[in-house]
Amino acid sequence: MTRRNLASLSLLALVALATGFVLAGQIKTQLLTPSNQVARYQALVRSVQDLEATNADDRRQIAALRSQIDALESEAATKSAATQALRQQVQDLRAHAGLVAMHGPGVDVELRNGVAGPNAGGQTGYLINFEDVQDVVNLLFARGAEAIAVSGRRITPLSSFSGSQGQVVIDQGPPLSSPVTISAIGDRNAMVEALADESALPDVRARQVQFQIQLVFRGSPDISVPAYDSSLQIPHVSPT
Amino acid sequence: MSARRRNRARGISVWVIALLVALVATIQLRSEVEVARSLVGVDPTSLAFLIDDLHRANDSLDAEKADLGQRRAALQSGEASAADQVLTEESNRLRALEGQIPVQGPGIVIVIDAGGLTALDLQDALNNLSAGGAEEIDVNNRRVVTGVSLSQTSAGVAIDGVVVAPPWTLSAIGDPTRLAEVADLMTQQLRADRRVRGASYRVEANIVIRSVVSPKPFVYAVAS
Repeated sequence: MTRRNLASLSLLALVALATGFVLAGQIKTQLLTPSNQVARYQALVRSVQDLEATNADDRRQIAALRSQIDALESEAATKSAATQALRQQVQDLRAHAGLVAMHGPGVDVELRNGVAGPNAGGQTGYLINFEDVQDVVNLLFARGAEAIAVSGRRITPLSSFSGSQGQVVIDQGPPLSSPVTISAIGDRNAMVEALADESALPDVRARQVQFQIQLVFRGSPDISVPAYDSSLQIPHVSPT
Repeated sequence: MSARRRNRARGISVWVIALLVALVATIQLRSEVEVARSLVGVDPTSLAFLIDDLHRANDSLDAEKADLGQRRAALQSGEASAADQVLTEESNRLRALEGQIPVQGPGIVIVIDAGGLTALDLQDALNNLSAGGAEEIDVNNRRVVTGVSLSQTSAGVAIDGVVVAPPWTLSAIGDPTRLAEVADLMTQQLRADRRVRGASYRVEANIVIRSVVSPKPFVYAVAS
């Protein structure tokens, strides 16, 4: 057997060995099943993306409609003192309902995911969840916040928080994920003091130690929060 | 000549096998990368829930668009009374959702008898109801909207500074079917809590909420 033949055979053996390993790996990871899973996941992800695009478009349209209505009401108010008084009353109610962009002194709070850690297993404690956001928002309201927005989404009297696995859904908006920014207008000293209180936000504090999730806040002389751009329908409610 | 042909055949077979290896390896790597990319932190069940939530959210947004469209059309008519009517209706709706006037409607009533539940427990319960479609909520004759302060005091849980002693009666107006599903889950979970002596709910065709929230003037916030 010549040296060249020996080299060819060795190469062939090596390639065959590699083929064997790859095929074994392939069978082990069940190529066909993941492929189907991928297709299913991708279909789900595409659905979410399409629905989110529709959602964003709807909210843009709602903001535009509210702006048009505001202009029409303003025009009508110039014709009658009674209409003007009524409009002022409604504007004040709209401001309290979160339908008017506001600014003023306050605090910015940032919540950021921590580190999963090697022994995290199925635990998701390192992820910022909707309850963390809800707790911070409620703490700020309890300390006199007058207007709050979460990552640019205005909180209203009807607002609710939901979500799973590090996703935060507020009202009809698409899900938010870390980092989540909470901007609150109000007495900034009182709010900063509340956020700095070690006994407040016990779950967040515990996970700061366990998973290094981050809670960062700072007072500011001027914070802006946008107007609410979603639905405020209460179809099942009527006055007594 | 035949030795040359043999070498050639051997060379071709090596290339064919190498090609196969490359092909299989590429498919394997790509499939794994795709799995990883499409599964960044979200499992399919969560995605399915997300889709359901987004469908419901977009339906609400459609309803809001339709309502706003009607209001715009009424204002565009230019009739003197149209603006006043639109504004009066808007005023009534906003007063209701801000908790400033008594309201009524279908919904559910949950009664929780427990010792040791905290403000965070009540906050979670109220948020569950809101996320489940509650449009108005009252706890022991105290009106609750998002923004009303819930705090823990030495005497117990306080709503806007007033302690609400157990048992808690949570009245929620909204879609009774959705609210009943939420209440069912909530009461099941509550009954599994050692601190809870009893948790039950009932659906009612008409709940009247007479408690109101006093509007607070803005001190720091200014319209942009």
